[in-house]
Amino acid sequence: MKILIVEDEVELLDSMASYLKNEDFICEKATSFFDAEDKIVSFKYDIIILDITLPDGSGIDLLKLVKEQSSKTGVLIVSAKDSLDDKLKGLDLGADDYITKPFHLAELNSRINSLIRRRNFDGDEFIEFNEIRVDPSSKEVTVHGKPVELTKKEFNLLLYFITNKNKVLTKESIAEHLWGDDIEMADSYDFIYTHMGNLRKKINKLGGNNYLQTMYGLGYKFTDTLK
Amino acid sequence: MKLIERTSRTYLWLSIVIFIVSAGMLIFVLTTVMNNRLDEQLRYSKEVISKRIKYGYPLTIFEEPRELNEAEQKKYPNDTIIFKDTLILRNIEGEGVDEFEKYRQLTAYETLHDARYKIVARNSLVRNQDFIWVIVLSSFIIILLLLIGLWILNTQISKKLWHPFYTNIDRLKNFSVQDQEAIELENSNIDEFKELNNSIQNLTQKLQSDFSSLKEFSENASHEMQTPLAIMQSKIELLLQSDNINKEQSEQLQSIYQAGKRLSKLNKTLLLLAKVENQQYSTKEEVSFLNLIEKQLENYEDFILNKNITVNKNLSDHIISTNTILADTLISNLLSNAIKHNINDGIISIIYTEEQLIFSNTGEPLKGNPEDLFNRFKKQSTRKDSLGLGLAIIKQICDVNQWQLNYYCEDKLHTLSVSFGNEIHSEEN
Repeated sequence: MKILIVEDEVELLDSMASYLKNEDFICEKATSFFDAEDKIVSFKYDIIILDITLPDGSGIDLLKLVKEQSSKTGVLIVSAKDSLDDKLKGLDLGADDYITKPFHLAELNSRINSLIRRRNFDGDEFIEFNEIRVDPSSKEVTVHGKPVELTKKEFNLLLYFITNKNKVLTKESIAEHLWGDDIEMADSYDFIYTHMGNLRKKINKLGGNNYLQTMYGLGYKFTDTLK
Repeated sequence: MKLIERTSRTYLWLSIVIFIVSAGMLIFVLTTVMNNRLDEQLRYSKEVISKRIKYGYPLTIFEEPRELNEAEQKKYPNDTIIFKDTLILRNIEGEGVDEFEKYRQLTAYETLHDARYKIVARNSLVRNQDFIWVIVLSSFIIILLLLIGLWILNTQISKKLWHPFYTNIDRLKNFSVQDQEAIELENSNIDEFKELNNSIQNLTQKLQSDFSSLKEFSENASHEMQTPLAIMQSKIELLLQSDNINKEQSEQLQSIYQAGKRLSKLNKTLLLLAKVENQQYSTKEEVSFLNLIEKQLENYEDFILNKNITVNKNLSDHIISTNTILADTLISNLLSNAIKHNINDGIISIIYTEEQLIFSNTGEPLKGNPEDLFNRFKKQSTRKDSLGLGLAIIKQICDVNQWQLNYYCEDKLHTLSVSFGNEIHSEEN
């Protein structure tokens, strides 16, 4: 998968690139409108992460260019402006998703993965992690080939973990992923714990391994490598 | 008191004083002039009488002549003339009633043909007095007519003159610094009003430009803050991925991370408030509150179950024309508020009808003033996860939609009600 990240803040650009690089992505960076335009015309990308506000032009114009070049490219708009106009305009012009700054890198990764899944809806797209197999379209999970009954929250949690495997996910990022970012409740961290306990039990019951690790009360990590 | 009333009242008092003074003077002058004339007449009559006596002509005398007594003889020397007003009982013919009438009387003592005569001549004052009263009365009527005429003229003219003033006052009342256009004032050709209009126009323009630059500043500041916050957050998240951080470091990182999150959440919420205030969510759609409430109840399911809260719903399926994002934010905030301030094993009751949306919840009694409830950063609890902006957002959303928001507490049940007024298109399925 080839990704182009267009972002004028170099520091943020580097963070995004270094997080995504560990996944199966090849990341290219563009820090200006001019730079991005050049790359979009010259190469073909699967996903473009696009900042709307660039110093030398608008991301909206780049979006139009992308859609002229290749309609198969998925576009994820990133903006500091949480303005409805930008959002609607972006989605109208063919952007696939919209994320506002500041965002969690894990959330960005999860959005990109879901965008990729939606782009190639061949139907037989499964996500596998050792003995666990997740079908995002039918929302079915199997462990060693045996189906597991998961609640909606448990399913979302598992999918989020598998998409961001081997990464430390903060409680805040998980809570926002599960309940949306306007949640303002401390209790949510306890629920994550509860949901995770249930998830672990259900997977263990069918002979699955325990991949969930706690990181000093800071967050969780879904990994098969030992500490 | 209106200006016109005030001036009219002053005019009226002035007119009354002038009328009283001038009436007094009129009576005095007229009486003096008429008395003088009357005295002349009486003198003439006396002359005629004394001439007639002198030359032996017969006299037409009304009273029986009588002898002058000694005292009178001595008291008055010759050629004395005394004028005085006197009342005389008179039988008015035809009416059969005796009545006192005022007379002007001349008494003269004279010696004619070696004999002392006392000549008395009288003339009735009644006619003169009547005459004076007629004059005073008619001048009173004239002044009264003049006053009435002036008053009518004044009110008519002032109505016309003050019309732009009152129109402009109404426009000023409806003026809001958030308006995009400059205030339009009705012109007048009165210099004072022109000056007032100019001052108002300058003032409001200044207000509007100040307000919009302030708005712009706070919005830009919030936007600009998002990027550094995003960098901070992403860097910490990357740092967390490294394998060689110990417990202590991770705890410190967590503190930084949480403070950053709090700041960014605060920033986002203030930005939302500013945007709602600036009417940036003005596109209206047909919104089903029923669906939104069900959706949010599902989203908050964990929180409701955790406190073992019973939710009672009574929801109609009316459609409201409003902004979807705002409606969603409103319900999310109402519900989260009802959960957050609830007690274990508590109750939330949601009623949604054509006119009202009511959220009630059990909870601890309110500390502090209920009127401060909708102010920003007024927190009931010192909870760390509460920004104290939830109710301010609810209030702001209600304000831009011109919905009435009320809080009341009855039997430990805290209730927030939103009354829609006429915003609803009734559509019952």
